[in-house]
Amino acid sequence: MMDVIFAKWHVTISLMPFLLQGLLMTFKVSIFAITLGSTLGFVLGLLRTLGYRSLTGIIGLYLHIFRGSPYLVQLYIIYFVLPSLGIEFLNFDSFTAAIISLSLYTSSYVTEITTAAIYAVPKGQEEGARSCGMSKAEALFYVVLPQSLKMMIPPMASIYVVIIKSTAILSVIGISELTRQGEVAILRMPGDIMFVYCLIAVMYFIYCYPVLRFAKWAEGTFGSIGSVQDQES
Amino acid sequence: MNDPIIRIENITKQFGSLKALNGVTNYINRGEVVVIIGPSGSGKSTLLRTLNGLETVSDGKIFIDGVDIVDEKTNINKLRSEVGMVFQHFNLFNHKTALENIVMPQTVVLKRGRKEAEDVAHRLLDKVGIPEKAKSYPNQLSGGQQQRVAIARSLAMHPKIMLFDEATSALDPETVGGVLQLMKDLAMDGMTMAVVTHEMGFAREVADRVIFMDEGQILEESKPEDFFDNPKNSRTITFLSQIL
Repeated sequence: MMDVIFAKWHVTISLMPFLLQGLLMTFKVSIFAITLGSTLGFVLGLLRTLGYRSLTGIIGLYLHIFRGSPYLVQLYIIYFVLPSLGIEFLNFDSFTAAIISLSLYTSSYVTEITTAAIYAVPKGQEEGARSCGMSKAEALFYVVLPQSLKMMIPPMASIYVVIIKSTAILSVIGISELTRQGEVAILRMPGDIMFVYCLIAVMYFIYCYPVLRFAKWAEGTFGSIGSVQDQES
Repeated sequence: MNDPIIRIENITKQFGSLKALNGVTNYINRGEVVVIIGPSGSGKSTLLRTLNGLETVSDGKIFIDGVDIVDEKTNINKLRSEVGMVFQHFNLFNHKTALENIVMPQTVVLKRGRKEAEDVAHRLLDKVGIPEKAKSYPNQLSGGQQQRVAIARSLAMHPKIMLFDEATSALDPETVGGVLQLMKDLAMDGMTMAVVTHEMGFAREVADRVIFMDEGQILEESKPEDFFDNPKNSRTITFLSQIL
């Protein structure tokens, strides 16, 4: 029994530097994608609520494309198909392709969340603001958005977890993130395939769990109207 | 006496195939209290909402203090700050305390300093009778208290005119009286007011003039004593017999 534990411990120790390197890459890619994707998604979601018909239509099409096709296919198109068009600008290296595709994918979800959160604020809030003389932009900034942002936090955190887990797919274009590093490790130690995958799963869990806990916490904290005010002042 | 601060000239408002306002012409004098009554769907709320630009008109003109508000070149935001509006469902900012509800529009729209805005807010909370609720959030206040804050919020902008859109319809019966009294005090202070309400007692006691609307048109208008004791239009008579 002891020698089995000792053997697994030995595997863990010898693989850990590579897996940690992978985790770091996973962390890096996901942070980039979440930051860029959230920013883009927030802007698109906001634009979509302003009521310009053609703009709303274009954003709707964008969402249909990115939410209605598998992420893997999007990744293949961005990494393998676009460079073959012969346009220098679209000749992405694998890291850029990974960031771009994952950001676009993230943005499609964040757009939906932003739009929903803005529409979830009762119409009367904007009317109250405008009847005091605020412009549409002021009403949005001072009255509607502070209330929507609060509602956006829990679903955003859930999406972030999905995005973090989606980075595993990036192994197919040679990004040495956690899953890829694991696969390489298995080539070296094929007998420990089960154990290595468990190690990988645990490392994803260690990254994702705090985000999920944060979502839960945010739901409780920002769910009550009082605490948002406390944070502002 | 005849010094109209609001002139409404033949306005219509079309919602799809429905004509919510169908050729309304009227005026409100400075310092006058006009009560607008009528069955639901008669266009009275729509009329009120056009007066501060919350609703656009399909046709016609509205002048507020000589300024044409239908004209696209008019700065409608500045106008709104001069025409206060009190809503049936209060529309207080849910993420702000009572005090902040009154402070924020002042700092944003009138560019008042924080200190001055807070002084104004405290003074107005005193005036509307709930100084102790300054730090409460809307969801911690009763309907009547929320409506008092909403009135204070409007007053903080120093409006020339106050519009009340069924301000007491969503209140518990025991809080209606206090809010009506507050509106009455405002009227006594000389505020120009347009009031959509179902409170006939208020109309009779406070109004300088009562307007009866149905199907997007003004069917009758007169002094309250004439209106209630001696209505002329047959639909007014039917309406009054149903509610009194």
